[in-house]
Amino acid sequence: MKISLLVMSGITILLAVIGVADQGPGIISQALLAGGEMLIEVVPLLIAAFILAGMIQVVVSRETINKWLGRDSGIKGIMIGGIAGALVPGGPYIFYPIAASFLLSGAEIGTAVTFVVAKNLWSLSRLPMEVALLGPRLTIVRFVVTLIFPVIVGLIANTFFSGYADKVREQIRKIQGEGEKT
Amino acid sequence: MIVAFIILIVFAAAVSVYAYRKGDGSHIRGFKIAGKTFFNIAPLLLAAFILAGFMQVVIPPELIKSWLGEEAGLKGIFIGSVGGALIPGGPYIAFPIIAAIFKAGAGLGTVVACVTGWAMWGVITTMFELAIIGHRFTLLRMGLVLIFPPCAGIMANMLF
Repeated sequence: MKISLLVMSGITILLAVIGVADQGPGIISQALLAGGEMLIEVVPLLIAAFILAGMIQVVVSRETINKWLGRDSGIKGIMIGGIAGALVPGGPYIFYPIAASFLLSGAEIGTAVTFVVAKNLWSLSRLPMEVALLGPRLTIVRFVVTLIFPVIVGLIANTFFSGYADKVREQIRKIQGEGEKT
Repeated sequence: MIVAFIILIVFAAAVSVYAYRKGDGSHIRGFKIAGKTFFNIAPLLLAAFILAGFMQVVIPPELIKSWLGEEAGLKGIFIGSVGGALIPGGPYIAFPIIAAIFKAGAGLGTVVACVTGWAMWGVITTMFELAIIGHRFTLLRMGLVLIFPPCAGIMANMLF
C-alpha cells in the first residue's frame, strides 16, 4: 500500500515537473481535470466491479474454487482463468479486484496470473475495436503470435511460484483492510 | 463503456440475487466486503487516476507517433514495446494512436510489439495493479511477461 502510493506519487511528480517545464503551470489543472473526468466516467463501473468481487468471495465456496481454480486444478484452472480473463469487460479497476477476490478465495497463483494476462491479450470485448481500427490482418497476426502467452505464464507461475501465493494473499488482505479485523 | 457497464451490472446482480437466496445473509457480507474494499482502495485509485491524467497531458500522442513512425527491425520492436507501454487509456484511446503509427510507416513487428507492450507493460494498468492487488503480484506478473512484447514483435516479423 505504502510502496504503491510512493511509486505513483513519484511518477506523478516527475511527470508534473516535466509538464510544467515544458508547457507551463497550466498543465497541472489540465491533468487533474483529465484524471477527474476519467474517474467520474468509471465510477458506476467501479461500484459494479467491487460488488461483483465482494459477492464472488461469499458465494463461491472454497471447495468449488479449490476444485476448479485452486491448488490441484492444474491446467484446468489455468484454462478457466484464461477464459474468464477473455470474457471480463472493462479496465484494470475491474479485473484486478476480481483477480484479488479469486486469490483470496483460494485460487492458485497461475490461475490468477493467467486471468490477468488473458485479459491483456485475449480480451473479447476489445476485439471488434482492434479489427475496426487496426484492420483484420494486423489483428490476426497480433492474436496468433500472442495466443499461447497466457497459458505459458500460468504454467511457469504454478511450477515455480506456487509457494509465493500466500505472500501475495497476505498483501491483498492488508490492502483491503482485513489485516486489523474481519 | 455502456456495454461493459451492462455486462458487469448483470453479473453483479445475478451473483447478488444468488447470495440473497442462500438465505444466510451472504448478500450482506458480500456488500460489506465490497464497501470496505472500495473505501480502503479509494485513495490509491484516486492517485492512479491523477497519474493517468498527468500521463495523458504530459505525454501527447503526437510525441509517441513521431517517436515510432518509420521505425522497423529490432530497434523498432524495442521502441515499439516501450512506446506502447506509455500509451495511456483504454482501447478507444490506444488503438487510434497505434493505427496512426502503422499508417506513418512503422513495421509490422513494431506495431505488434506496440499493441502487446500497451496490453502487458501498460504503465497506467500497472499502477492500478499496484494499488489494488499489491506489488508482490505486480513483480511476479511483470517478471513473467517481461520478454513477451519484444518476442511478439520478433515473431510477427519472422512469421509474416
